[in-house]
Amino acid sequence: MPRRQKTLRRQVLGWLFWPLLALWSVSSVIDYDIANRFVNLAYDRVLLESALDIGRQVKVLQDRIYVDLPEVAVQMLQSRESGRLYYLVTGPKHEYITGEPDLPPPPDPFSERVNYYDEQYQGRPVRIVTLRLPLETGKTESMVMVQVAENRAARNEFARQILFRMVLPQALLIITAGLMLWYAVGRGLAPLGALRREIESRSHRDLSALPLEQTPQEVRPLISAMNELLARLSLALAAEQRFIADAAHQLRTPIAGLKTQTELALRQAPAGEAHATLTQLHSATQQATRLVNQLLSLARAEPETGRVHTVEPLDLVQLAREATAEWVPRAIEGNVDLGFDTDTETAVVTGDPFLLREMLNNLLDNAVRYTQSGGQVTVRVSREAGKPRLSVEDNGPGIPEAERDRVFERFYRVLGTGADGCGLGLAIVTEIAQSHGATVKLTPAPTGTGTIVSVVFPAWVGHPVSAAR
Amino acid sequence: MRILIVEDDSVIADGLTRSLRGADYAVDCVNSGAEADHVLAAQPYDLVILDIGLPGLDGLEVLRRLRRRGAAVPVLMLTARDSLTDRVKGLDIGADDYMVKPFDLRELEARVRALIRRGQSGGASALTHGSLVVDTAGRRATLAGETLELSARELGVLEVLMMRSGRVVNKEQLAEQLYGWDEEVGPNAIEVYVHRLRRKLEPAGVSIRTIRGLGYLLEKDPNG
Repeated sequence: MPRRQKTLRRQVLGWLFWPLLALWSVSSVIDYDIANRFVNLAYDRVLLESALDIGRQVKVLQDRIYVDLPEVAVQMLQSRESGRLYYLVTGPKHEYITGEPDLPPPPDPFSERVNYYDEQYQGRPVRIVTLRLPLETGKTESMVMVQVAENRAARNEFARQILFRMVLPQALLIITAGLMLWYAVGRGLAPLGALRREIESRSHRDLSALPLEQTPQEVRPLISAMNELLARLSLALAAEQRFIADAAHQLRTPIAGLKTQTELALRQAPAGEAHATLTQLHSATQQATRLVNQLLSLARAEPETGRVHTVEPLDLVQLAREATAEWVPRAIEGNVDLGFDTDTETAVVTGDPFLLREMLNNLLDNAVRYTQSGGQVTVRVSREAGKPRLSVEDNGPGIPEAERDRVFERFYRVLGTGADGCGLGLAIVTEIAQSHGATVKLTPAPTGTGTIVSVVFPAWVGHPVSAAR
Repeated sequence: MRILIVEDDSVIADGLTRSLRGADYAVDCVNSGAEADHVLAAQPYDLVILDIGLPGLDGLEVLRRLRRRGAAVPVLMLTARDSLTDRVKGLDIGADDYMVKPFDLRELEARVRALIRRGQSGGASALTHGSLVVDTAGRRATLAGETLELSARELGVLEVLMMRSGRVVNKEQLAEQLYGWDEEVGPNAIEVYVHRLRRKLEPAGVSIRTIRGLGYLLEKDPNG
């Protein structure tokens, strides 16, 4: 069973609800006791009146005790609204005089003049009053006892009604307080929600401080601490990027020396073992060159936090056309037919022309490099649901489906391709695309083998530009 | 032909020196900005290969002082940095070309040749491509010494292709070149001129490639 998540709202509500519920229960018990007491007081008084009425009718005639109850009075006793009354009158020696002979006797027959007690009669709970009356004969020890019993149902019902009327408003109060608290906590936490959305909508590179103005006083220390962390993180990232860039720059000079000397030696060495070794050395140098260049590219594509790239509206068609044209000589060298295709006059995107060019160079480099001699590579600018789309399609060996996600990872290379890539190209492409709010997709070419890498940009919302750069 | 190499990395300096001496240039080599400034003030060169990242006086400063003295010698900059601002800065100060380390030796040699040629002719009026020569001033073309029968527009197209030999030339650029003589030239007309040119040049082994969606490319001169 999943553990329920701790929410602030639930906790605050818990702290309010459970103690209130306990208080409410205790108060209900007390209320019930009070209600019962007052109901008993009222009903007992009526019961006593009835007993006194009966008592007044006890007469003595020639030492014989009798009760002179008119038929009407008896009927009244038996057909009251609040339930029938039972009565019993007994003489000084507990002899039966009149009424219900089986009424339960009082627990303590010689106590007070008036005595109330609860009993069971005919299987129902009853309230009984016992009244002792001195006989008019004057003999002090001669007492008659009048007992009147009443079913408890009516008074219980009355007590319940009183209790209900006392407890219900309290319950409503608790529920209202809960709802208000629920709402208040929600309102109080709303700035946190706004903060969450702000963080969610951020790019992973945006490490600028979070806004403090709208947040409640209690949350500010947290935000401040987070901002401090963000600042430290941003410094660390910037330092790391600078290090990569510096390292790559520093590597360039020795690699340039190595490359120059190798190329020179290749010319001078006669064909043979030494020449073969030099050829291998040269190819390793080429690879190192490429790696260093791509590392720099990547370091540039991930700007130091806070550094803003030049962002301007530019025409993707023109940019792609120029970049592709530049790659034609290299494609011809590898006997690859490189071409350009578009179905739109202009496709405006906002971005950094230098970075976008870099992105396209990496896409083209991959396509031209991995396409076999005699193959075809086509750069295409089109629209996908109104959004500018740049794609590079090749009919090279293609990328197996299982590896399509992995090729975006840094330094990942598809096995068995034989080309000397270093596996950073698509990482750079993704990095640059993301910084332009664009998405990169890799799909198999519709015709046979090959791959289409497409970059879909967000729709341009500004005014149209005729030409950019 | 005298070339000055200013490079503080001895391995690169040595490679460049030997490579250029092998191509029969007279090469001097210095390894600091101050020394370069001193030598350049004293002696004329036909080309300077200048590294930007020099200790002390850096390459950009050497170049600035060189241009301030009014020297027109072509300068090829070498740099380990390739950000746009660095390139623009170098070209603004007066570099004629730049190459990013690590460079290709063959490409460097080709650019050296081009820069020296440009420096000598002060903007040559003759374009050559193997045995094909176009005299842009005299408006005539010769193939292995024989005059080629070309219309003015065909010649115009050929000139643009030769000026950008080995690179893609799009139809707009070609149309621009022909525009102004008479009525506007459409893309279909360009195709016709290119077709005619191909027929006339193919026997001599000069081929104009069509690049899908981009334009045309005069294939690199195998000897050039």
